[in-house]
Amino acid sequence: MTSNHIEMRGVRKTYRFFTLDDLSLDLAPGEVMGFVGPNGAGKSTTLRLALGLISPDAGEIRVMGHAMPDGQAAAKRDIGYVSGDMRLLPHATLGWHMDFVKSIYPEWDGGYAATLIKRFNLRTEQNARSLSLGEHVKATLLLALARRPRLLILDEPTTGLDPVARHEVISEFMDVLRDDRRSILFSSHNTVDVERISDRITFIDRGRVVDSSNKEDFLERWRRIHVQLPPGATLPTLPNIVGRVDDGQFITLTTNQFSDGLMALIGSHARDVQRMNLEEIFVANVMHHREARGQ
Amino acid sequence: MNIVMRKLIAKELYVNRWFIAGGSAAGVASALIATLGKTGFNVGSLTWLTTIIATGVMIALYGIMNERKENSLQFVLSLPLSIADYVHAKLLGLLACFGIMWLLSSAAALLLVFLKADIPDGIAPYTVLLCVFMLANFVVVLCGALHALSEAMTSAIIIVTNMGVSVFMFTVAPMPGINKHMWAAAPVWNSTFWTVFACEIAVMAIAFALPFIFAARRRDFL
Repeated sequence: MTSNHIEMRGVRKTYRFFTLDDLSLDLAPGEVMGFVGPNGAGKSTTLRLALGLISPDAGEIRVMGHAMPDGQAAAKRDIGYVSGDMRLLPHATLGWHMDFVKSIYPEWDGGYAATLIKRFNLRTEQNARSLSLGEHVKATLLLALARRPRLLILDEPTTGLDPVARHEVISEFMDVLRDDRRSILFSSHNTVDVERISDRITFIDRGRVVDSSNKEDFLERWRRIHVQLPPGATLPTLPNIVGRVDDGQFITLTTNQFSDGLMALIGSHARDVQRMNLEEIFVANVMHHREARGQ
Repeated sequence: MNIVMRKLIAKELYVNRWFIAGGSAAGVASALIATLGKTGFNVGSLTWLTTIIATGVMIALYGIMNERKENSLQFVLSLPLSIADYVHAKLLGLLACFGIMWLLSSAAALLLVFLKADIPDGIAPYTVLLCVFMLANFVVVLCGALHALSEAMTSAIIIVTNMGVSVFMFTVAPMPGINKHMWAAAPVWNSTFWTVFACEIAVMAIAFALPFIFAARRRDFL
């Protein structure tokens, strides 16, 4: 057995109108993986499989060394789970929730919880029903972080938050990352958040992983190249071009393997080379794979 | 029983504290109202029955369906417990919540029967059967709600079990072994009583076993 916090091999989960297919995923200790996909891509399904809340139809899942879903009770001792749509018990205060979680987790860090209460501007006497969306996310995050989990599984925690609340939440994740034994699996369709905290990124679309790599690797490999051809000229066959838009003599190429060799082939026709941000890479990647699969 | 299950049972008692307190107060008050003459007896009996049924439905609906609907189930399931732990703790926790109210209301009704001179003690066996039926009714609603994944299915179970109360009253009260001794000065615990009682216990046992067999083994819980 390896020491990865999450290991998924050939996982399949089929619903009536959706199939998560042949999913393989590894998350090493100290690693932060951004799990990016459009709505309905299978992000939440994957995270729920990792937590043991649903069972795969095929494949193998191990989390914190435990086979899932059978070992979920033991695995969840080391997991903090926060979901954007998770809600606390409506007729209990935040203070009651803190006491409740503290009574279950001996590792509960009261000092850290108090710090987070201040930092997030929460009040322990607040009833869960009266919490706004942003406060709810911060409260669930507080309850997950103060138990000092080794693995954080975050399912779109920043969705619907205002920019300030999002900044506060993301900053807290960055603080968590100072402890390099902890790992985070962070799903989102907001690539800005993912780009800020992740060191590895996995793109998922329509139930399939379309690409997975280090963030820097993505940013280095992907380029948009603007080409201007003189009348009558044509481009040679170029490798690793995943997108091409023709507009008269102007051509925009998207590559996922930018190299000097590619530029040499384009030659003097190249007018401009642009770096792509994660959102552009994500969209180009997904569209390329959909075309390749004929979808 | 592990510590997480114990904490979850305590959580149910805390979260449902107002249902327990309100239901218990209303159940005991209904029994007291039943001491106020014939009209009082009719009104008190009706409110007593309504209180027990309504509190049971509220506890089951709020404790199971609302937890799912309001997404607090995700919070509970993020704790270090298995699906089976959750199902067991939920069953025991909500049964404890209802049980407190049921015990107090049933005790008040039986005390009324034995202490009030103008109510014959012969009605005690029927009262006991009715009380146990109400408990069985709740167990069926609770286990059905845990098993059903949809609100519509849970509502159907609630409607059927509510109708069951009328069916019970119209079926058991006229039974010769019950009816013949209902107005007697002393209670008669005959074979009819024990047969109906055994049926009620069997219904409870079957209903209680179902979530352990099915819901606790469910592979997908969200």
